[in-house]
Amino acid sequence: MTTPGTASLWRNHILPFTLLVALLGVATVIGDYLLHRLDLVWVGRYLGIPGTVLIIGSLTYSLRKRKVIASGNVKSWLSMHEIGTWLGSLMVLLHAGVHFNAILPWLATVAMGVNVISGMVGKMLLGRSREHVQGQREQYQLRGLSKTEVEQAVFWESVTFDAMTKWRKVHIPIFIVFAALALGHIVSILLFWGWR
Amino acid sequence: MSKALKIVLAANLIVLAILTFVYPHLMVGPGKLIPGHSRLETDCFACHAPFFGTTTERCMICHKPEEIGRLTTLGQPIQKPLISTPFHQKLLNQDCLACHSDHAGVKRFRIAGRFKHALLPADARKECQSCHKSPKDSLHEQITGNCGQCHTEERWVPATFDHDKYFVLDRDHNVKCATCHVRNDYSRYTCYGCHEHSPEEIRRKHIEEGIRDFKNCVECHRSADENDIRMPGRGREAESGQGRERDGD
Repeated sequence: MTTPGTASLWRNHILPFTLLVALLGVATVIGDYLLHRLDLVWVGRYLGIPGTVLIIGSLTYSLRKRKVIASGNVKSWLSMHEIGTWLGSLMVLLHAGVHFNAILPWLATVAMGVNVISGMVGKMLLGRSREHVQGQREQYQLRGLSKTEVEQAVFWESVTFDAMTKWRKVHIPIFIVFAALALGHIVSILLFWGWR
Repeated sequence: MSKALKIVLAANLIVLAILTFVYPHLMVGPGKLIPGHSRLETDCFACHAPFFGTTTERCMICHKPEEIGRLTTLGQPIQKPLISTPFHQKLLNQDCLACHSDHAGVKRFRIAGRFKHALLPADARKECQSCHKSPKDSLHEQITGNCGQCHTEERWVPATFDHDKYFVLDRDHNVKCATCHVRNDYSRYTCYGCHEHSPEEIRRKHIEEGIRDFKNCVECHRSADENDIRMPGRGREAESGQGRERDGD
């Protein structure tokens, strides 16, 4: 059974997040359809290059956050990171198409997908959810509920929130996996591809 | 990141790297090879030169141009060649990848039956019918040769020829091509192939109108419509609104 608070968290936070993830999928399917319809499938093949460049470029946020880069507004770098990785992922997904050939690039694609979703959880949901759960707590306290009753009322939201705080534990390791697999794919292409 | 997680990650990546070297065709190969190449499935460098891709030189280690269509790569005579006219021996230069590819995932991106006609000697490029069969339709049944007048070497369709640009084939001109294009020579035409237009009659009519140069009929007549006569440098008569009398002025 869902409490009204949980429904609100779902409607206000998780649903928009889900829609944005779904938008990535829908944009991929539409893009892939258009490339086939317009006889531009070859374009999809080369979209892997700008997609990778965008993803690598968006890593400057991580460098700024860890103070490897000293200049620039962290918030602006973060926006660039989010937009760059979303667009880059879209290009890589179009590049992958719906063609199942080699295992390594597909593992890289799956790792990229998990990476994108975990990143969205971290940056899109976590902040808002923290505010939401805290707001709910304060509201129940104002109504005169005891501390135990408040914790019971926000139990499922807290559980959801706690699950989301684990995003970083997924985001960084899966990025390393993604980077290693993508590198393997790129090296294999450079090694075997004839560029004609 | 915890040390245990780092170890798990490193172990997984090492396993994947080993699998890539043991099963390259599954891990990095873009799809299956054609049946004739299946024994090379795990030997990538039989065809691929590192960082340069597949090269004609590597193809020719097994496929010797002088033997193509005559002997198999194992030296056995071919009883039923796949191609009716051997042409590999006559190619201007050997460029296997201009026409051939492999791996199911790569072939998907290539036009089926891609063929680089520019590799053929000039005289062979005119002999389309030695390799291609003419379509069995009412138009093509009347035509022999000169395919290049309508079709390009890149694609069969779209055919670039639009007869209306030269002359509109209305119901009075719905005749066999050879009526106007004698011996199917589409670089020439004659309007005297039917009873309607005789040289004497055409000459008389034009002289009456004061027209002395009337050898190239379609220069002025792009259709049978008498109101659509284009005089070089004078535009359409119908547009000028002066009719045929204008020519006689």
